[in-house]
Amino acid sequence: MTDERMWGSGKIWAARLVLLAVFFVFWEWAANSKLVDPILIGRPTGIVQYLWQEVFVTQSLLSDFYWSMGGTVIAFVLGSVSGVLVGMLFVTSPTTEAVFNPIFTALNAMPRLALAPLFIIWFGLGLGSKVAVGVSLTFFIVLTSTVAGGRGVNPDHITLARTLGASESQIFRKFVLPSAVPVIFNGLRLGLVFALLGVIGAELFASEHGLGQTLSVLAASFKTDGVFGIIFLLSMIGVGISWGMTSLENRLLRWR
Amino acid sequence: MNIAMNPTQTKASAGTVAKPAPSSIIFDKVSVVFETAKLTAVSEFSLNIAPGEFVSIVGPSGCGKTTLLNFAAGLLPSSAGRGTMLVNGKPPVTGSHDVAYMLARDALAPWRTALGNAELGTEVRGVPAEKRRARALDLLEKVGLKGFEDAYPKALSQGMRQRVALARTFSLDSPILLMDEPFGALDAQTKLQLEDVLLSLWQRERRTVLFITHDLSEAVSMSDRVIVMSSRPGRIIADVPITLGRPRSVRALQKEAHYHELYSQVWSRLEEGLSQ
Repeated sequence: MTDERMWGSGKIWAARLVLLAVFFVFWEWAANSKLVDPILIGRPTGIVQYLWQEVFVTQSLLSDFYWSMGGTVIAFVLGSVSGVLVGMLFVTSPTTEAVFNPIFTALNAMPRLALAPLFIIWFGLGLGSKVAVGVSLTFFIVLTSTVAGGRGVNPDHITLARTLGASESQIFRKFVLPSAVPVIFNGLRLGLVFALLGVIGAELFASEHGLGQTLSVLAASFKTDGVFGIIFLLSMIGVGISWGMTSLENRLLRWR
Repeated sequence: MNIAMNPTQTKASAGTVAKPAPSSIIFDKVSVVFETAKLTAVSEFSLNIAPGEFVSIVGPSGCGKTTLLNFAAGLLPSSAGRGTMLVNGKPPVTGSHDVAYMLARDALAPWRTALGNAELGTEVRGVPAEKRRARALDLLEKVGLKGFEDAYPKALSQGMRQRVALARTFSLDSPILLMDEPFGALDAQTKLQLEDVLLSLWQRERRTVLFITHDLSEAVSMSDRVIVMSSRPGRIIADVPITLGRPRSVRALQKEAHYHELYSQVWSRLEEGLSQ
């Protein structure tokens, strides 16, 4: 049974590799034979060469990577902590929510990347403006999921808590908060991806450092191999983030 | 093993049954009216339940039996109730430590293990950690869940979950237990098993139980008295003493003639009430 399943997943992996190999070989051939201009699509061998050179030889991409990831982590921490705190405030005080809700809805409706030029004027070309865009995205995502999670408490738990004589703070700590955690976690996972999006997006506009800034320089000088190389790196980072959050969730929320 | 109880609240240590004078729960001409819905749920309901007595209320759905229980638990707005209601000599208050309440659904916290759920009630009521842990472990063993202490509710069957809820309820040292159809969602076999578990827990301490059910056989097999209610607005139409010996086994009763006589007696009274 297990043998069969392993054999099955081995076949699936083999099929994936063959498919990818065929795709890259065709891409390389299309560029070399000028079926499509290499300026438009680059070359797989050129992309590998670029990444090898910039990651392992000159290591110039490493410092960009650290700048972008640093900004992402700071934006995520600030945005999610404030999102959870404000969300909890809304759950415990519906009046506060009633006051702020329409304002926040309007702010959240703004295309945040359009604020990037403004943030660059306010916070400069450094990390500050990138973090600001990331926070402006992460905060609302985490806020929304925290409020949804806090509202989703099982009414039976509240009845039980009341007959036990639980205080408001006990109801919150022992029932509302733990039952909200899975929903908040979904928000955090999405929030981290959006923090990365905000930081990279802001770097594309104007920046001193970062993968987004390098990407925009490469694109402006038609170095297509480099553009693809960085896009590949960014998607690897995204996959890594999702995977990390999922394994963290599985560990913390074993009871689900 | 006996559960340590607050001495002032203990009316019976295991084995001996003392009978203090005051009633444990008193309903005196209690009516419950929900003004907004213009609904009289219960009308002039009077009932005295002695300490240590196991009383069931049966009646058609919508007769207000759960409303009465919620009134005793202090879960109704004070404006809804008329008449006098005393629980352990005091008007009902939400969260009173005199009362342990058990819901129809198990209300387990899915993020807590069986042990964590069994000590949830005592934790909220401020019982010291070591004491509540010992009590929860003892009760989990008594409800037949030894070895499942670290299991999360998702891994437990319906019957096992309700056993955890029983352990949570009996961990509290409240002298009065209010139970709202706690076995209503279980299949027939599991139900019989859990009724026996409940009786074995109750027989050790003889706390006062007010048990709501629509299941006549459940009421007859477990109770000292069965109160039969009419359909809305709920009134008492019969108060039947159940003259079966203690300790009992619900499963053994199924084959006993006297049990079936009592059952048909209660059933005919309920039938009268339904046809009125």
